[in-house]
Amino acid sequence: MNKKSLFIGTDMKTHYLFLALISLLLFSCEKDDICSESTQTTPRLVLEFYDISAPEDLKQVPGLFAIGLDNDANEVEIINELVSTRSTIELPLQNNANQTQFKLYKSYDLVDSTVVGNPDIITVTYAIETLYISRACGYINTYEIQTFSISNDSERWMTSFEILTTQITNENEIHVKILH
Amino acid sequence: MKFMSKFFISILLYLSVFLNLNAQEENAAVSDSIVVQEKYGLRLGLDASKLTRSFIESDYSGFEINGDYRLGKRLYVAGELGAEEKTTATPYLNSTAKGSYFKVGLDYNMYENWAGMDNMVYSGIRFGISNFNQTLNNYTIYDTNSQTWGPHEITESERFSGLTTGWLELLLGVKAEVLNNLFLGVNFQIKGRLFETAPNNFENIYIPGFGRTFDSGRFSSGLGYTISYLIPLYKRDR
Repeated sequence: MNKKSLFIGTDMKTHYLFLALISLLLFSCEKDDICSESTQTTPRLVLEFYDISAPEDLKQVPGLFAIGLDNDANEVEIINELVSTRSTIELPLQNNANQTQFKLYKSYDLVDSTVVGNPDIITVTYAIETLYISRACGYINTYEIQTFSISNDSERWMTSFEILTTQITNENEIHVKILH
Repeated sequence: MKFMSKFFISILLYLSVFLNLNAQEENAAVSDSIVVQEKYGLRLGLDASKLTRSFIESDYSGFEINGDYRLGKRLYVAGELGAEEKTTATPYLNSTAKGSYFKVGLDYNMYENWAGMDNMVYSGIRFGISNFNQTLNNYTIYDTNSQTWGPHEITESERFSGLTTGWLELLLGVKAEVLNNLFLGVNFQIKGRLFETAPNNFENIYIPGFGRTFDSGRFSSGLGYTISYLIPLYKRDR
């Protein structure tokens, strides 16, 4: 009798063990499948503006505003791009082409729905490399700058440039330094 | 829904074992002084959950045969042989893993059977190896600034073949004899990867036999429902 009750005791333990195992299975979550917002995304091209007369000093561009130009030279609005006075700008590159053009305005303003300001066109060409990140985020693109140029016009406000790094892998570093 | 159905099947199996145990307790006094023999032999079976999922889920097909051979009173040598194909889709990535696997190891029966019964509550260990390939079907470049130029999707598929993974697995399970020589079982597996060949600029998303991988580390888990038949070869006094 004693042995039997001991035996039932062991059974109950086994039962609890299995109930615990079964309930564990209900809580298997799959958070790995959601791409976290803190993940390094495909980087944008970062430009920083310096003083032409003192090339080591940052110099803000009054009313800086950028517009993208697609392969047919149509103007494309850049999401979240606002007119402001600043010394840094981030520009998204096209992923289905090896070249992107931007129109950069100094002193951009709208007067009676007419754009005033001084636009300069920059052209950047690059090689694309696709980099695996994770199951949830998939791949990002990184870029290697091949050429950078500022189109000639009569009132160029960007005087010259210097490519600081050809590797565009994140937005924490400045890729091109512009003197004005 | 998938988890709920797994849950109910588990409960049913669990109850069937539980009732079985209660039935044994009543018979206990009768068979006290009789010499009892136990069946030894080769047990072969199928994984029912893999078959069911193959029919229900459009992105999965799988098959597994399993077998064990009784070595002693409590010890069994056991193994599984299977093949799986699984497509995994996340918002940015769609890939298919396909391949076959083999597992071999031991099961140890922790359960003290009553006379004439042949049930198992067991723990086991396996070494598993999988040979597979992965196809990257399509992916969209992860770019939070993609609204400007539009999302960029690559639909040209790429295949990574000759991939291998080896792992160690711990099992906990039950096998209940529901009809003469016919067993139903459920087991829970915890697996840890020992080695793997990972594709270049990609990773092993799903490994046949091992299951899905997690970013957090080398571990995974699994659940198996088995239906098997014992081919009795000889009997031995217990």
